[in-house]
Amino acid sequence: MNTNANGKKGLTIRDLVTIGIFSALFLVFALVGGIFFAPNPVLTFYMPVGSALLCGPVYLLMLARVKKRGAASLLGALMCLVWFVTGMHWAMALGYLVMGVAADFTAGAGKYGNRKLNALSYVLLSLGGTGSYLVFFANPEGWAKTMLGNGTEQSYIDAMRAAGTGWILFAMLAGTVIAAAFSAFAGGKMLKRQFEKAGITR
Amino acid sequence: MIEFRNVSFAYPEGEDGGLKNITLTIPDGQCVLLCGRSGCGKTTLTRLINGLIPQYFPGKLQGEVLLDGENLAHLPMYRIAERAGSVFQNPRTQFFNGQTDSEIAFGLENRAVPQGQLRPRVLETARDLGIEPLLGRSLFALSGGEKQKIAFASVYAMNPAVYLLDEPSSNLDMGAMEALRRHLLLVKAQGKTVIVAEHRLHYLMDVVDRVIYLDGGRIAGDYTPEELCALPAQKRREMGLRAVDLGQETPSPFHPPQAAPALEMKNVALSYRNRPVLQDVSLRAAPGEVIALVGQNGAGKTTFSRAMCGLHREDAGEYRWNGRRQKPKQRMKRAGMVMQDVNYQLFAESVAEECVFGVKHPDLALAEKTLAQLGLSSLRDRHPGALSGGQKQRLAAAAAIVGGKELLVFDEPTSGLDYDSMARLAAQIRRLAEAGRVIFIVTHDYEFICRTCSRALHLDGGKLRNDLPVTAENLSEIRAILGVR
Amino acid sequence: MKVLFFDPRTKLALMLLCVFCAMAAPNLWFQMALVGLIAVFALLCGRGRYALRGAAAYGLICLFTVWCMGALQGVWRAVFIAFLGLVHKVYACGLLAGVIIGTTKVNEFLSAMEKLRCPKKLTIPVAVMLRYLPTVREDWRFIRDAMRLRDVSPTLLGFLKAPVMTVNCIYVPLLTAAARAADELSIAAVTRGIERPGRRSCLVEIRMRGADWGAVGVFAGFLVFTMLAKGAG
Repeated sequence: MNTNANGKKGLTIRDLVTIGIFSALFLVFALVGGIFFAPNPVLTFYMPVGSALLCGPVYLLMLARVKKRGAASLLGALMCLVWFVTGMHWAMALGYLVMGVAADFTAGAGKYGNRKLNALSYVLLSLGGTGSYLVFFANPEGWAKTMLGNGTEQSYIDAMRAAGTGWILFAMLAGTVIAAAFSAFAGGKMLKRQFEKAGITR
Repeated sequence: MIEFRNVSFAYPEGEDGGLKNITLTIPDGQCVLLCGRSGCGKTTLTRLINGLIPQYFPGKLQGEVLLDGENLAHLPMYRIAERAGSVFQNPRTQFFNGQTDSEIAFGLENRAVPQGQLRPRVLETARDLGIEPLLGRSLFALSGGEKQKIAFASVYAMNPAVYLLDEPSSNLDMGAMEALRRHLLLVKAQGKTVIVAEHRLHYLMDVVDRVIYLDGGRIAGDYTPEELCALPAQKRREMGLRAVDLGQETPSPFHPPQAAPALEMKNVALSYRNRPVLQDVSLRAAPGEVIALVGQNGAGKTTFSRAMCGLHREDAGEYRWNGRRQKPKQRMKRAGMVMQDVNYQLFAESVAEECVFGVKHPDLALAEKTLAQLGLSSLRDRHPGALSGGQKQRLAAAAAIVGGKELLVFDEPTSGLDYDSMARLAAQIRRLAEAGRVIFIVTHDYEFICRTCSRALHLDGGKLRNDLPVTAENLSEIRAILGVR
Repeated sequence: MKVLFFDPRTKLALMLLCVFCAMAAPNLWFQMALVGLIAVFALLCGRGRYALRGAAAYGLICLFTVWCMGALQGVWRAVFIAFLGLVHKVYACGLLAGVIIGTTKVNEFLSAMEKLRCPKKLTIPVAVMLRYLPTVREDWRFIRDAMRLRDVSPTLLGFLKAPVMTVNCIYVPLLTAAARAADELSIAAVTRGIERPGRRSCLVEIRMRGADWGAVGVFAGFLVFTMLAKGAG
């Protein structure tokens, strides 16, 4: 009898535990990457860039180990939950939720084994972090209201407004895409050179 | 009753540990020790009984395994879990909850045992196993030995008919090993079937009824413990088995070249999180000495070794090397460590690169020589993560040597090693010492101390209590310190 | 003082209410009141020291904020106030999240979420994530030691000097340990029957008691009050 435990349909306990553990690491790296940017009004727009830069290897190793529909969505949902309960802007939480699903479909199109699609799915997931800033550009007044309501000081908003001209939007999005792509590229390399050889990608 | 009928199993991609044609019957209430070299298939055998094979580990399985006449391959894992409980090697990664009570109740909760019965069962378990003081504690704050007791308690609470233990003593000191032995005797007296896969045999010899020796995936011997003990010691070593009776171990003579002391500690005091750990430690050590560092959990062995390597600042006193005062930064350059979980210190993509990783101007000839000396030359292109536990340790030691370290600390190097790896490590450590290094070994392993060390330091009650040469005259004292019966 | 036990569902509700309160708070006073409420809640949960420290730290932050508003000018004022703004924004929620994570046991959480008909597929990863965060910190301590002994500096400066090497040093052991922990933890879970379909039981009775309704009531009342104040202001 040939047994193939991981071929079971749906997410197994092993998959769920793996997703949980890698989400913890994802969270730690996203925080470490973002912490330098977030509190500074001029740099705050680049927070998603910082977060995107560090999480690639974590995400790709998780995909390599789970290889099933739902992994990226669950990761996105967990990040959504964390950001929401720590009082971050709702659009950032929502961004992770939505982009997690998008990332799942993208990676799934290549059966979670296509390096380019996996990298693209990471880029998409990283864009989830830009959610709150996109809301800012779509509706600066409303954004200022929620953020102010959230307790952010007027001067912070003013500074952000001063910094938040059109090209910043472009720089933030492009920067996130580039950082995520670089992170995915480095993560892919690491996967191939280290983790596959060490036998922990299964 | 557990029956194996012509069972063969192969892991995918030819990993070690497969089984070939196993036919075996274990009657109810029998206590069985599975032994043999690393990769002989003893872990695989336990996985077939708790259902992890075929349901969790993929591979090629032939034959059938029956528990009380039922084919285990057809039972879902959660049904098997009601009848066979498992304890594993690594205490850090086998708890699911953060707190002891809930961890003990975990299996029962999964089985949906009514809420009213849970608390009494947890208390009963704690009382039976004598672990009441551990109730209500955070698992993250427990020592490895205490975590392992909770892991056992969690299985005991479920009251399975079969207990499976896979190298449960790997991370335990003598005291914790003794507690484990008592727990095994307890469940044996309750008429449970107990199956232990283990390298350290001595603590089990008066517990088990039967010893099954595996070699290359086949059953190569089926003994009573008396028969195994009656085999000549040399024969057991050839079989790759560790000591069955620590009382018969004697120090093996070791004569490193005489040298003047290089390391000197003068009245060193160390603390951890503002609590004093060690006071007034003074000692000298010469190149060529291999020094065992022994003591209970929490006696300060870890703080002592970290401070020795410059990773921890001393509160008072000083370290000198060849007469020169050494600040932590300087000690860090001079000292290396092989950690208990060596996986934390392997970073590179191949064995050869690992050896020179982080070294500014590596001496490639020295790297080659060291790899050869430690028996790693043939593995130079392998990834460090794909090596066996013993090989990883030797690689970490090699990297420290190429980095020019003159003092090496090994932290619990024999956990999970079979006899062959242990003996090889002992010989290699001695060779490193002969080449002029000071070596410290944090260990509870009496057999290994006898084979390797020239001197033993006993840390106890915040002091350096004893400083003994490992000689025949001092053996009874060293045994007493380690709690060897 | 007697420690109260709160249903995890209550804690979840409080978390939601707290997020909305923090969003709606029209000024610093409301934030302070919210932090005070949370400190009382922490006290009731048996986290007296945490409550005291959390409230005191917030008091200092408030004083510092007031000082900044008065004493600083220009760029520094903007930078500091911006930074403090972010702190004020997340402080209350973070404080409450800390109490909740610290006082909710995995089994209580799983059972309560079962009662809310939340699928295991979501609750197990959440539980594992929270369980694994302290392990990440332990792992990092070991890795930092190992790096320093290899002459690789585990600091930002070290990273700038030798980026590739530092990256390998951090990711390789951390992810290797994570992969191994995932295997071992799931094995420990399945051999204790976590896959059994149907409801689990729980060591502690999970039920909404008077204290639960009271806590939800107080927080909900505060939210209404905040909204009204905001509407009026």
